[in-house]
Amino acid sequence: MADFSRESMLDMFIYEMNQLVEQLEQLIIQGEQGYSMDDINEIFRIMHTIKGSAAMMLYDNVSKTAHSAEDLFFFLREENPQDVDYSTLTDLVLECVDFIKNELAKIEASENSDGNPTDIIARVKAFLAQLKGEAPADAPPAKSEKKTAQVSTKTDSVNQIEAKGTHYNAKIFFEEGCEMESVRAFTLLQNLKEAITDVVTIPADVVADGSEEIIKKDGFQISFFSEKTYDEISELIDQTVYLKEFELSSGNLKNYKVVLFFEEGCEMENVRAYTVIHNLQGYCTNIKHEPEDIIDEAATEIIRKNGFKFTFSTDKSYDEVSKDLCNTVFLKAIDIEEVAAEKEAEKQEENEIKEDLKTASEPVNVQGNNVGSDTAGQAQPIKNQSVQKTQKPSQPAASSAAAQKKAAPTQHMISVNIGKLDQLLNLMGELVIAEAMTTQNPDLEGLDLENFNKSARQLRKIINDVQDTVMSMRMVSLSTTFFKMNRIVRDMCKNLGKDVQLEVVGEETEVDKNIIEHLSDPLMHIIRNSVDHGIEMPDERKAIGKPEKGTVLLEARNAGGEVIIIVKDDGQGLDTQKIFNKAKENGLLKKPENEYTEREIHQFIFHPGLSTNDQVTNYSGRGVGMDVVMNNIETVGGTISVESEKGEGTTNILKIPLTLAIVEGMLIKMGGAKYTIPISSIQETFKAKQDQVFKDPDGNEMLTLRGDVYNIVRLYDFFGAKSEVTNIEEGVLIMLENEGQHVCLFVDELIGEQQVVVKTMPGYINRVKGISGCTLLGNGDISLIIDVGGFFDK
Amino acid sequence: MAMENEQDEIVRETKEDTTKDRYLTFEIDNEEYGVDISNVIEIITMSAITWVPETPDFLKGVINLRGSIVPVIDARLRFKKPEKEYDSLTCIIVVEYENYTVGVIVDTVNEVMFIPEDKISLPPNAKLKYQNKFIKSIGKVGKEVQLLLDVDKFLFLD
Repeated sequence: MADFSRESMLDMFIYEMNQLVEQLEQLIIQGEQGYSMDDINEIFRIMHTIKGSAAMMLYDNVSKTAHSAEDLFFFLREENPQDVDYSTLTDLVLECVDFIKNELAKIEASENSDGNPTDIIARVKAFLAQLKGEAPADAPPAKSEKKTAQVSTKTDSVNQIEAKGTHYNAKIFFEEGCEMESVRAFTLLQNLKEAITDVVTIPADVVADGSEEIIKKDGFQISFFSEKTYDEISELIDQTVYLKEFELSSGNLKNYKVVLFFEEGCEMENVRAYTVIHNLQGYCTNIKHEPEDIIDEAATEIIRKNGFKFTFSTDKSYDEVSKDLCNTVFLKAIDIEEVAAEKEAEKQEENEIKEDLKTASEPVNVQGNNVGSDTAGQAQPIKNQSVQKTQKPSQPAASSAAAQKKAAPTQHMISVNIGKLDQLLNLMGELVIAEAMTTQNPDLEGLDLENFNKSARQLRKIINDVQDTVMSMRMVSLSTTFFKMNRIVRDMCKNLGKDVQLEVVGEETEVDKNIIEHLSDPLMHIIRNSVDHGIEMPDERKAIGKPEKGTVLLEARNAGGEVIIIVKDDGQGLDTQKIFNKAKENGLLKKPENEYTEREIHQFIFHPGLSTNDQVTNYSGRGVGMDVVMNNIETVGGTISVESEKGEGTTNILKIPLTLAIVEGMLIKMGGAKYTIPISSIQETFKAKQDQVFKDPDGNEMLTLRGDVYNIVRLYDFFGAKSEVTNIEEGVLIMLENEGQHVCLFVDELIGEQQVVVKTMPGYINRVKGISGCTLLGNGDISLIIDVGGFFDK
Repeated sequence: MAMENEQDEIVRETKEDTTKDRYLTFEIDNEEYGVDISNVIEIITMSAITWVPETPDFLKGVINLRGSIVPVIDARLRFKKPEKEYDSLTCIIVVEYENYTVGVIVDTVNEVMFIPEDKISLPPNAKLKYQNKFIKSIGKVGKEVQLLLDVDKFLFLD
């Protein structure tokens, strides 16, 4: 059972952790120049959450690593030390992050998370000790534990404490199965430490043996003084990880125990009892009564027989309470007793557990009522005064802490399995086809169907809207991918001794989730190349009059159906001659040397095995990389090109389709078959005259149009198919554009524009040059989708 | 969890029981072949084939099988036999093998036959004929002989 529930939580855990780690990494890198208090708090909080989640999932190594980092930031937060070596600190924390990432990857791959964090933890501790100006031997956690022990041994009676602000009682329950309750309780105390004084806890020593059991069973009880308001304290406690629920009451409270008898024959004792409780709610907390359910008829009997017993806490004096209660109508006898806080708490234990079970099973989120606020009209007063949090452990703890701070039941984001989105998209595709099959059904041909056409148009409109929505659900902004690059640039600068700043523009641009997955690696390679090969060393830059700090610009923007991503550096640019020589060495030249333009030569960097860097560095120079980039980009149907000016820098331009799934296509006919050409590649279509066309000695057909000369590719020749239309004047020419190059494709005829759902070719068929996939037409026929890039490969 | 596994097991067992030692027989050029029925998804009649460029000639193209794109192989061409015009008897046997779904065009489909293991023998060692490559074993039912297809080689050889 335990294993089963863990299994189902694992996905959520990994997802949540990955997000936290990403967030963390970003914060750390931003903060390298000096952390703001907000950053420190945020990092502390994230580390804390990671620690908690990992501990819950029993990944001790991750939990411990996060714990050590948390200690570090705890110190920073509390002491706000000056002269911190932020660079070392960042290195250390990033190492922790890497360790956690690594372990996460293992967990994700269903391997054992077996990394040993001892070394890194030791270093973090040493650093912390150094910050504190201590000998490294003194381990920080031991120290802070001592502190708490001191705090919690102050078990003075509540009544003796002179008021310092308001008095509060809190009772905290952790999620079942969250483990390490004592540590959580300890952490909670630490979190509250700065806000509260004169703390009394039950159990008194949270870290002592056996305290865990008590906390599990009875909850963790704290009584303390604070100058903060009820809401502030409530919020503080609410941030606790794995909090199941907590009760918080304020005021210098006295606890009363009352037994009340109504006059015989007054009838409706339960309603009267309810009225009493209702009145009390105005100024009392922790109201417990017996029988519990006074609305029930059976309660009447019990009250008649045993009297109505109830306990409550309030800051009012005995006299006031007594006076109030004696005003009850039909009162026969009343016995009011003031009880000491702790004794009372013990007595109530049993009741409360019962109640907690009851309330926990009902997923109600009761707003954290300020004590003394008007609660009239509550039908079931029993649930009123305790702030509850029925949070499932699988919910992302980090976000929920913030989002549910006000216990608002609305959630604006949900996470959905990507598999379901894929399925939805597939169904969407079939819906589009089915719609076409229906409205363009051959049976309808020649019929005059005014009403049918009206409805069909309406249907099409709705389907289009649904399609847009489905597509937009899959869109993810590039920001996470882009910000990941910060880390790479930073690490490289450190290692290479360069000074480079990454400028990010348009990171909010959205791209289909499937595509984003393929973007991270290529971008990383390109940026590595830019920093490693492109940007010069600072003194070199100074010497040639460039600013010492190099800049890599990472820009994304929408352009029609595509997203253009530009990686631009202001480094030394590509060495055309060097690339050319390398290409020659590797036998990549396909035409006479002097025919190569600079631009063409630059594109050689995308060939496998071509690295112009003589030295192999950690980052690049092995000649793998740019071809991987090319492959990755091609997988998602994108293109990449490079422009460079010597001494000025290099610009990589990636063109990525917004989505893989649905393409605006031109349906054409060739031979007996229909093919689809993506509209985005089509520049124009036209009929040619015989006198425009000529052949070179190799038999390559060419055509002049408006003074320019274009190659003609006959589609049937290209595919080795047969077609009846071979006369250039009978067929149609389609001018295709790809990476600035043009070619004219000769086909039999144009059929029309159509939105098509791209399906991949079955795996059994090897990749066909010139074909990128296929689609189903309205009549169920298959149309192959033409890969325009295929016509430009030599 | 454990329960589900058990159920899966049961389902698998019964499935194995019904498909074990059963072969779908079909004809190509008047010779009878058999294919292990556990590989067979369904049998469909001839449907419109879309030719795909740059593929071997036995790979006739792709068909639309209720929305999924399925490649089809002409068994005659795969066996290097003369091509025959498709007629009303021509069928496509849709087989699934290692996550690949492929249609096989055959002259006609005959029946599902039970051939116990002890009636199956390996083909003669001497590989005189080209088509032997695709034959895993030979099954004997009464006086008749069935050539049992090696699906792996049939789909992936060369």
